[in-house]
Amino acid sequence: MNKRNDSQAPVRKSRLLPGSLQGQYLIIVLAAFLFIPVIIPLASLTYTIVQWSSKSDMESGAKYGGTSGLLSDWHAHAANMEGKSDAAIDEALIELKRRYPEASMFWVDANGATRSQLPPQLDIPAQWTPEEAIRFMKASIGKDPYTVIAFLGKENAGSSFMTIRMPREAISTGNPNGSGTPYYIAFVFVMFSVFVAMSLLFFRHIRRRLLRLQSAMARQDEHGIPEPVAIKRWDEIGALEYSFNGMVAQLRDSRQRQSEEEQLRKSLVANLSHDLRTPLTIMQGHLYQLREEPLSPKGQQSVSVMQGKAEGLGELIDNLLAYTLMTSGRYKLTLEAVDIVRLARESAASWYPLWEREGLEVDVRLPHEQLIWQGDRAGLQRMLDNLFQNVVRHARDGGYIGLALEKRHGRPCLVFSDKGRGLNSESSATGAGVGLAIVDYLADSMGLVRETASSEEGTRVYLYEKTKAKDERGFF
Amino acid sequence: MTTNSIKLLYIEDDTEIGELVTEQLRSKSYEVKWLKSGEEALREAEGCSLVVLDVMLPGLDGFTIGQRLKKANPDLPILMLSARTSIDDKLQGLEFADDYVTKPFHPDELSARIEVLLRRGGRRSSEPTKVKHLLVYEAENRIVHADTGEELALGGKQFHIFMFLFRHLGQILTKEQIYEAVWGESYLDGDKTLMVHIRHLREKIEKDPASPEVVETIRGLGYRVRA
Repeated sequence: MNKRNDSQAPVRKSRLLPGSLQGQYLIIVLAAFLFIPVIIPLASLTYTIVQWSSKSDMESGAKYGGTSGLLSDWHAHAANMEGKSDAAIDEALIELKRRYPEASMFWVDANGATRSQLPPQLDIPAQWTPEEAIRFMKASIGKDPYTVIAFLGKENAGSSFMTIRMPREAISTGNPNGSGTPYYIAFVFVMFSVFVAMSLLFFRHIRRRLLRLQSAMARQDEHGIPEPVAIKRWDEIGALEYSFNGMVAQLRDSRQRQSEEEQLRKSLVANLSHDLRTPLTIMQGHLYQLREEPLSPKGQQSVSVMQGKAEGLGELIDNLLAYTLMTSGRYKLTLEAVDIVRLARESAASWYPLWEREGLEVDVRLPHEQLIWQGDRAGLQRMLDNLFQNVVRHARDGGYIGLALEKRHGRPCLVFSDKGRGLNSESSATGAGVGLAIVDYLADSMGLVRETASSEEGTRVYLYEKTKAKDERGFF
Repeated sequence: MTTNSIKLLYIEDDTEIGELVTEQLRSKSYEVKWLKSGEEALREAEGCSLVVLDVMLPGLDGFTIGQRLKKANPDLPILMLSARTSIDDKLQGLEFADDYVTKPFHPDELSARIEVLLRRGGRRSSEPTKVKHLLVYEAENRIVHADTGEELALGGKQFHIFMFLFRHLGQILTKEQIYEAVWGESYLDGDKTLMVHIRHLREKIEKDPASPEVVETIRGLGYRVRA
């Protein structure tokens, strides 16, 4: 119970931590929700500020303080002309022309006569009538150059006036309307980019850590167990890494235990085998010596029965232990291309002397052609040995052993036949089981099938590949 | 089996088996040196023609001893004798051992295997071996008709085929095995060639080539030469 809580602790803790992925993701989602109500007004505000500041910048930045500056300046200059002689006014105007070199100016005295044009201007009448004045005014409003007319004297109340015509480019820097729009677009774009970049970075980070974990899982040591990973952060992925490390530790533990058990089992089987075989060897040796002694025919027969039984017992022990080892996964099969016809022939050749001694009629019908099966050479050898051994042990009375390559279910098939009383008869019940169990186990591991057809006339054992062989080399 | 003074080293810790095997081998006129452990094996192997080695021994196990012996003298045949299950030990043992016999074994089988190993290693004395009506002087590469004393002149391939069968006395060898051992190439369409050579060989060595006695045909399997 306590152990369980321990292992779950980091998972729970990480949910509450601000550094958890869930928390980080929530912040990003929240930012996304706040984006429209906060960012749009912010952008509008930026627009307004930019607009306002660019306007005032233009005014102050223009050479003569913009139109309003020029207007008030010109009126002030006109007011300063109070009580000055005509000559002095001419003088002052020349002075002013020096100050506003781009402008053209003139003044008109109380009698409506145009005085000192700087420079001389063609559209100015020499004598002003009220109509002329109104025409001039109409022509000047809202046009370029910008025209200011100011009456001379205090409060600009005199009857004479002076006029300045300033090119608009000298007093303004262009149209200020809409100058904030690029800033508005740029702001919105930057904010969008920041949001997208943050999301991308967030997921890239997660992805990188998951990939690191995945590659750590894929990397395996010599026992097929992954290495533990270093935990860098205590968030959800950190918890995953923690659990992963726990699993790796468990795997190592069980692997260790398994190899210890395997070792124990192996030495147990080896010792058992040794302990069972040693007395059998001694018995056989003595039986052999006994046979050399002068014995009555009955004694000779007893000895030979005992010899047969001792041999059978030895085979049984061998099969039993081999079966134990194989089914516990101790026997590793290495599959390779094996010419089964050749292997069967060589195996039969090594069994022949025994068959001959037992007086069996041997009927081998194998073609001199290759038949390749994917199998473990030693395993196949073992299967053949067990099948041949079965005939010798249980079907000797039939006096016949056959080995042939035939076709079964459209596949090349090894056929082992005898003329014994059949597997179902009483004599074959003993010992045959384990030997055949080994054959079946090995056959199954190599993708082979054993079938047996047994009758009073004899037994036929078929051995063939489960799937149709690709390489039949034109057999049949 | 008229051989004598062939020395065998036998390493076995079990007294009863050791006594039995030693006695049986001595009855076959071998000189047997029996050790109960492998510590002295390297020194005792001097002058021996073959080593019979048990796997389960106190101290150094049979595999270790076998590997050391083989390293010191690669030509010395080693026959492993084991009471452990064959499927487990056979492969490990055969990495260096020349043959492998599992207990319980038939005493005749053991001496037959020893014969084969000794003959294969060319450690037979110059005494001839009698094969039916022939006397084979293996050391001198001579085959003599026992009745007439006449030496048989065999062609190169015929002689190789005969000697290959002779060195595996009593064993059946398949056509593939013979062809690959004598011609040194893979048996694919060598069938006809081999048949022709065996026919010529029989014409020279058999009393009646129509019913051969020396080189037996084992139907469906191969050929055999028996003593």
